[in-house]
Amino acid sequence: MSILDRSIVVSFEVNGKPVELITAPNRTLVEVLREDLGLTGVKQGCDDSNCGVCTVIMDGKAVKSCCVLIGQAEGTKITTIEGLEGENGLHPIQQAFIDHFAIQCGYCTPGMILSAKALLDENPNATEEDIREALHGNICRCTGYKKIVEAIEAARDEINAQA
Amino acid sequence: MSNTSEKNTSYIGKTPIRVDAYDKATGKGLYAADYTKFIPGLLHVRVLRSPVAHCQITKLDVTKAEAIPGVERIFTVERSPFHMERLPEQDRFPINGECIWAGQPIAIIAADTMEHAEDAMNAIELEYTQLPHVIDGFSAMGKNPVSIIDPASGKGDGVIDETNPWAKIGKGATLDSKFSGPNIVGNYILNKGNVEEAMAKADIVVEDSFYNDRRVHCQLERAVSICTYNSDDSITLYGSGCGVHGVIKSAMVNIFDLPETKVRSIQPYIGGSFGNRLNPYVEVLVAMISLFLKKSCMYEYTREEQFTGGPHAWPCLTRVKFGATKDGRVIAQDYDCVEEVGAIQNNISYTGRLSSSGAVCVYDIDNIYMDTAAVVTNLMPVGPYRGLGCPESEFGMECMMNVLADELGMSAVDVRKKNFIKNGGYNGYGEKVTSIGVEKCLEECAKKIDLDTPSVQDGSVWKKGKGCGCGGKQNTPLGRAESIVRYYSDSSVEVLISCDENGMGAMTVMAQIAASELQVPIEKVKVIKGDTVLTPFDNYSASSRTTYTTGNAVKIACAEVMDKLQEAAAREVGVHKSKVVIEGTKARILGSDIEYIELSTLFKNTSPYDQGNWGLMRFSPVEGHGLFCPAPIRSWGSDGLTSRMWNWFQYAACALEVAVNEETGQIKLVQVACSADTGNPINPKMVEGQIEGGVILAAGYDIQEGCTYDEKTGAVKNAGLVDYRVADMTFAPLQENFHSLINPDPLPDGPYGAKGMAESITIGIGPAIAEGVYKAVGVRPTKFPMTAEYILGLIKEKKAKEAQK
Repeated sequence: MSILDRSIVVSFEVNGKPVELITAPNRTLVEVLREDLGLTGVKQGCDDSNCGVCTVIMDGKAVKSCCVLIGQAEGTKITTIEGLEGENGLHPIQQAFIDHFAIQCGYCTPGMILSAKALLDENPNATEEDIREALHGNICRCTGYKKIVEAIEAARDEINAQA
Repeated sequence: MSNTSEKNTSYIGKTPIRVDAYDKATGKGLYAADYTKFIPGLLHVRVLRSPVAHCQITKLDVTKAEAIPGVERIFTVERSPFHMERLPEQDRFPINGECIWAGQPIAIIAADTMEHAEDAMNAIELEYTQLPHVIDGFSAMGKNPVSIIDPASGKGDGVIDETNPWAKIGKGATLDSKFSGPNIVGNYILNKGNVEEAMAKADIVVEDSFYNDRRVHCQLERAVSICTYNSDDSITLYGSGCGVHGVIKSAMVNIFDLPETKVRSIQPYIGGSFGNRLNPYVEVLVAMISLFLKKSCMYEYTREEQFTGGPHAWPCLTRVKFGATKDGRVIAQDYDCVEEVGAIQNNISYTGRLSSSGAVCVYDIDNIYMDTAAVVTNLMPVGPYRGLGCPESEFGMECMMNVLADELGMSAVDVRKKNFIKNGGYNGYGEKVTSIGVEKCLEECAKKIDLDTPSVQDGSVWKKGKGCGCGGKQNTPLGRAESIVRYYSDSSVEVLISCDENGMGAMTVMAQIAASELQVPIEKVKVIKGDTVLTPFDNYSASSRTTYTTGNAVKIACAEVMDKLQEAAAREVGVHKSKVVIEGTKARILGSDIEYIELSTLFKNTSPYDQGNWGLMRFSPVEGHGLFCPAPIRSWGSDGLTSRMWNWFQYAACALEVAVNEETGQIKLVQVACSADTGNPINPKMVEGQIEGGVILAAGYDIQEGCTYDEKTGAVKNAGLVDYRVADMTFAPLQENFHSLINPDPLPDGPYGAKGMAESITIGIGPAIAEGVYKAVGVRPTKFPMTAEYILGLIKEKKAKEAQK
């Protein structure tokens, strides 16, 4: 079997740009994002979807990219932390994380911010309980979560005020 | 030129945003594993580990494994030029084929891809005979334990291997300790006053025993190190390890006998440590491979490996007996503490001293007898964890304070207030205490949750109860720190430091100090850290000392810069430097017709006509060097006392309310107030972050985290985040019920009166939860984690006893 026989072609969109690549089918989305596309803002912390640092947004939903086989990404639209900062500066959630000291070691931060974005995109009026429920798959070992929830609530209010 | 915005540049006690926040919020900040995108061709590393806690290897054949294409080399003790059986703790390979803990490394594979390395790991032929093991401290302490684990050689004859530099530490204790079995590796006794006499005079005596399970730090970034082999036969390490100079570089130089110029250690951003990465375990292995193969390689632990191959937090087995007067004054403390340290007595030389330091620093007790030890077991060698044994050693102390209060019918706050050490007083060692804010911390916390008012019950299965706890933790005086501060012609500043930034905000603290000292806006300060060829020596950040040691060093370096600027301005004008006052970007001159001079004008241009300029010049900053070392210690006397062993003590208190499900035993945090004595906080928002993080980390292991073991193999059963449950967002109390408070007692020798604080937070949480459980359902937990199973067991036991009556 040639290498092509053992590979698949996958096309998807990352941060608004089309991506097409030939790769082994047993690779995970996080591996491709980090190793092939250089998107190292996507972190790796466990391998079994229990820490949440590899969270990306796939077709509007927060997913743990360590548990997405690359073939499952076919035709999807993916947002990583690298795709959040726009021409007008940081996304309000990013800015709120900075302003509210919701960041310490920073390793959970990209995943935390993306889970929060997926939540607020779906439910712009998410309450504290909604936030706790939606983000409990993102572990933070440093902050005790208080300032993270505070930042997400502040970002929610900021986004709603802009709308 | 308007100067008003630059006049108010004191950032101390203020909350400028973190200097690393943008990097981390955007994913642009690099962590060690991210460097692989710049370093092609790295070899990947896997390690074959002992599957059982104690065994004799009967066959170890790597022939087939090494024949797998892409496999570069497999190292075992026999196949390495280095003394792999002499490497520090977690990296120590078996001596004579005897593995003494499950997870002990047996073979290391270096291959071109991770897949090939894993294939080779699975192809190694390993056969062994299992030997009896002991995997708990209680069994290991006996006179005739089923397994004798000599840390020096792996043999039970007790003969010290003279050629092993680690072997003698902590051995040969001659103290008259009650702990003396063959697995006891070190002892310490403190004897102050006369406990026996005082205990006899006491109106009330309370006593109980306590212990806790092993825990793993679970920092989110797994241990990783990349080692590049360079053309001049030097190595460069990029990793998540702490202490670029004092831990990593020094380990490489000492272990591999390298010239000091042949090792470069670089620390990018770190995804947490909590003590885990103070041991250079991955670094040593990648360096060994690189030096032997003359190739670059990387080793990143799996999450499972953090449990089977990384240091664990040590448990303490304690017994606390207090004798007190009827008004609540404790007059006698009889205390035992045993640290269970795993299979290797390491260079920390465990004797019980570290943990027990927490048991004598909060309360002023005239008569103390402390008998402590360290015991080895067939378990993963331990390493420091936030608090260095104090949350474990003080759990019993604080629980017994609560028991004493309940027995005397006093409030838990009042009993403690009767016994706290006061500023200017002396702790149990005989050290003068110059900063202690614990009383204020406790009072505020108690007030915040109305501790003395019993919880309101709602008739459901969730019973509520309140409790409190305090904590004190020493600072180890190991923190020599240096700093270089550079002031440029445009008043932009570089601060070069080598302390660790594990996430606690050290870089921001240093920027605040430099900006304040040099009177420049913090945006003009750039902090450069963690590269041994660029940034000056710093031992390592541990023991909550970074603000104190590195902060003092930065302040000293800034003072040198200011002195040089004064000198330059004075020469320019023609006065003595004592007549120059720096005010922002200007120098005010006293006694001259020139009243002000812009500092920028002191820096000359570098045109070809100015080559002979010996004064200040653009692009050549004024540089200051700061070196700070804590004062020397005095060794313990034969009575275990000392006038100076630790540097200073950090204190915290907590009061909280829990809800306990009386049908399942589950505990929930209802409300928490926690306060830290930080000395003067440099950045109160970051202090709050440390408090909140400390509360949840500690409550997590107090309630639900702990390693469980397979009795047959002695291996960790819950090696991963599926079964080892780290606290998530739903575990924390609701926002409005979670209070972090700061009650500083300034430290005279700290920068601006600041000291460290992040460890003491974790101490009072467990005892407060235990007391809350008692108030809620009437049972007294004496160990943590206080899992649902454990609490339900206590409830059932209580009900059975009541039924008998």
